[in-house]
Amino acid sequence: MQLTWKDIPSVPTSNDMLDIVLNRTQRKTPTVVRQGFQIQRIRAFYMRKVKFTGEGFIEKFDEILSKFPNINDLHPFHRDLMDTLYEKNHYKVSLGSVSKAKTFIEQISRDYIRLLKFGQSLFQCKQLKRAALGRMATVVKKLKDAFLYLEQVRQHIGRLPSIDPNTRTLLICGYPNVGKSSFLKSITKADVDVQPYAFTTKSLYVGHFDYKYLRFQAIDTPGILDRPTDEMNNIEMQSIYAIAHLRSCVLYFMDLSEQCGFSIESQVKLFNSIKPLFANKSVLVVINKTDIIKIENLDIEKQNLINSMKQLSGVEIMETSCLNDDNVMNVRNKACEKLLTSRIEQKLKGSGRIDNVLNKINVAKPIQRDNLERNPYIPDEVKNLKKYDPNDPNRRILAKDIEIENGGAGVFNINLKEKYILDDEEWKNDIMPEILNGKNVYDFLDPEIALKLKALEDEEEQLEKEGFYDSDDDEMNDDNDEINQIREKAQWIRDKQKKMINDARLKKHLNNRAIMPRSKITKTFNELENHMYLVGHDTNKLKDKRTKSKKPSNIKGSDILRGSINDEIRDGGITPLNQSDRLNDGIDDGALRSKAERIVKMERRERNRNAKKGEADRAIGNQMPKHLFSGKRGMGKTDYR
Amino acid sequence: MAARAQFENSNEVGVFSKLTNSYSLVAVGGSENFYSAFEAELGDVIPIIHTTIAGTRIVGRMTAGNRRGLLVPTQTTDQELLHLRNSIPDTVKIQRIEERLSALGNVICCNDYVALVHPDIERETEEIIADVLGVEVFKQTIAGNVLVGSYCSLSNQGGLVHPQTSIQDQEELSSLLQVPIVAGTVNRGSNVVGAGMVVNDWLAVAGLDTTAPELSVIESIFRLQDNQPDAIGSNLRDTLIETYS
Repeated sequence: MQLTWKDIPSVPTSNDMLDIVLNRTQRKTPTVVRQGFQIQRIRAFYMRKVKFTGEGFIEKFDEILSKFPNINDLHPFHRDLMDTLYEKNHYKVSLGSVSKAKTFIEQISRDYIRLLKFGQSLFQCKQLKRAALGRMATVVKKLKDAFLYLEQVRQHIGRLPSIDPNTRTLLICGYPNVGKSSFLKSITKADVDVQPYAFTTKSLYVGHFDYKYLRFQAIDTPGILDRPTDEMNNIEMQSIYAIAHLRSCVLYFMDLSEQCGFSIESQVKLFNSIKPLFANKSVLVVINKTDIIKIENLDIEKQNLINSMKQLSGVEIMETSCLNDDNVMNVRNKACEKLLTSRIEQKLKGSGRIDNVLNKINVAKPIQRDNLERNPYIPDEVKNLKKYDPNDPNRRILAKDIEIENGGAGVFNINLKEKYILDDEEWKNDIMPEILNGKNVYDFLDPEIALKLKALEDEEEQLEKEGFYDSDDDEMNDDNDEINQIREKAQWIRDKQKKMINDARLKKHLNNRAIMPRSKITKTFNELENHMYLVGHDTNKLKDKRTKSKKPSNIKGSDILRGSINDEIRDGGITPLNQSDRLNDGIDDGALRSKAERIVKMERRERNRNAKKGEADRAIGNQMPKHLFSGKRGMGKTDYR
Repeated sequence: MAARAQFENSNEVGVFSKLTNSYSLVAVGGSENFYSAFEAELGDVIPIIHTTIAGTRIVGRMTAGNRRGLLVPTQTTDQELLHLRNSIPDTVKIQRIEERLSALGNVICCNDYVALVHPDIERETEEIIADVLGVEVFKQTIAGNVLVGSYCSLSNQGGLVHPQTSIQDQEELSSLLQVPIVAGTVNRGSNVVGAGMVVNDWLAVAGLDTTAPELSVIESIFRLQDNQPDAIGSNLRDTLIETYS
């Protein structure tokens, strides 16, 4: 349930509302319309304006209607509180008028849109729009008072204390000036105004405190005077409603010193007159200001009077002094205890609810099943550990402090290896290879490697001692030279082999080309010759063959220039095409030739396109350009102006 | 001592950390605030180790362990395992186990003497748990939930279980585990008590949202700072009835 209404949007005055909505219409709808437009377009233009304005108003009204609380849906306490504070009927009427205005505007918008559908001209449409907006404005202007009132309510309602009617509540009530507010101030952190005159507190104040790990709210109410409820003013009524509706422990405060200006008799009388409200509530009568006078110091008559209040079942009397802070906490605890017991009693009545809690308050104790001791394991250091205090200058340095020193979160990077527990401190930051020679190091990790290594070394030493590695030198020396020679050759062979393998590998390197079958690869004569030479054959014959096959050419420079090399002259390299040479056929040297060339040049020249795009362009442009053939021709002729 | 902490705006402390009597694992986060919350409470008594498990930060849910050993799932990388081995005292055994239910923190709930496990856990795993952690292993459910690790938080001195555990179940669990057991919540009514808090024999860390009544129940049932479990039935009774109904 909603307990505070802080998020109600502010309610503008009716004039502001008009400005807001009409301004928005002007800004968010098209503004240009012309006589020459089609009538449909003009109608649509104005219909849009009317519709948009209507929607703007409706949106604003909806916001008000939805955010203000519906007084009938509230908890009876809040309902009555709002009734006293804002006058329920006025509130309802105001919201009702807003709601009514909303339907009016909806209707206006609908009607005028319908009319606009039949608008005949721009002027007519415009007048209809003006009428629609004008009528809407009139409707809104009529809401002037409602808006002003709602804005005031909004400002007040947002400042109401957040009182939860269902939670644990201590309610402090009594005559004015008996010390209610100072009690609230001493048990909670609430900042209540305490003044030495009556009716300092004019509304409800709430403070919170913890008791037995539970959060309690304490409500300070304005003072009540002993008179019939219909004569009470709004301030007193708030107290009455709080007492009547909240499930709480009521602390009835009394001042025996009569410094508050009310006699003990009248205070008791008030208690008796509001007694009917205490039904089903725990009540504690608190005698305040014991620093001035206590019950024992009163005369018997008055003592009896006070004790007569105990007649109501469950009422207890306690003494306190807020001035000396004397007994205040006891009063508070007593009240809380009373409230808790009564609430729990009520809860225990409903069996369904208590079943849920039963397992949470039942501690299952183990039944011994064997003789094994299962002791807790708490290191001794824990007992000596100093409690960490962030304000202590000699406190432990935490990782957070180091982080802040080094630039804060996001900048500082922790060293995970800092706290390694290793045999040697220097090993901490050693880099451990994760993968070595393509193998995961961890797969080969052996925790007993040191032991095994030592065993191996011992064995080695043993073998050395036994002379296992002593070489037999004398045999070797004789054929040393021979062996060396063989080694050299072997080395040469190995090198050569390596080289060949390497070459083969390089050759294999295809460079992304397709593999050519050997039979398809063409090789030049030169390559053949080179290869043969390298392999060690005599290449003279090959050379002879080549020179023999080459014929001396008889072509002269002029022949090339003319292009008149005939087939005989040309070397047999290219086979002649089986067609006549049309460039040269039928043409002699000299004049005829130059003439032919000139004609060719002329024919090849690009023709005049005459402003066409190309040969295929058949477009016919504007024959009579309007600007040249229209208008008055006062002076000159058509072509010369 | 019971403390409140938060890991990067998450209240699920038991997800991002693991606390035992001889070491504590903490996830690597954006800042050191969470780590320092442990550091402030634990001092140098036991090593607190920044780590990831299988590259994730949910170290509390992936691992199970006690004073004697630590079990990590098969997804744990070799580097993480090496890091853990280097950081945790040699007296603690570390074992990587091949188990289909790889979130070991969710399926195993243990103290130094007894362990409850998920009913579907493999036979071999069960044996490994018994060997490495040195505990008696029982297949159990908590309030009908098979994820015993999520719904139970356990120390050598007490245990907190799912809020809907019936009283008979509590009795049964209590005689199995040989510690007092109570049902309760953490983190303002969350029922994943195993994932919402971590506890050992002298410290409990719960989420920042944990209310005062919840924290006082934790302190009582785990006997932190000389509190006694009996307080739940006597001093805290009214408070608990008020909060839970």
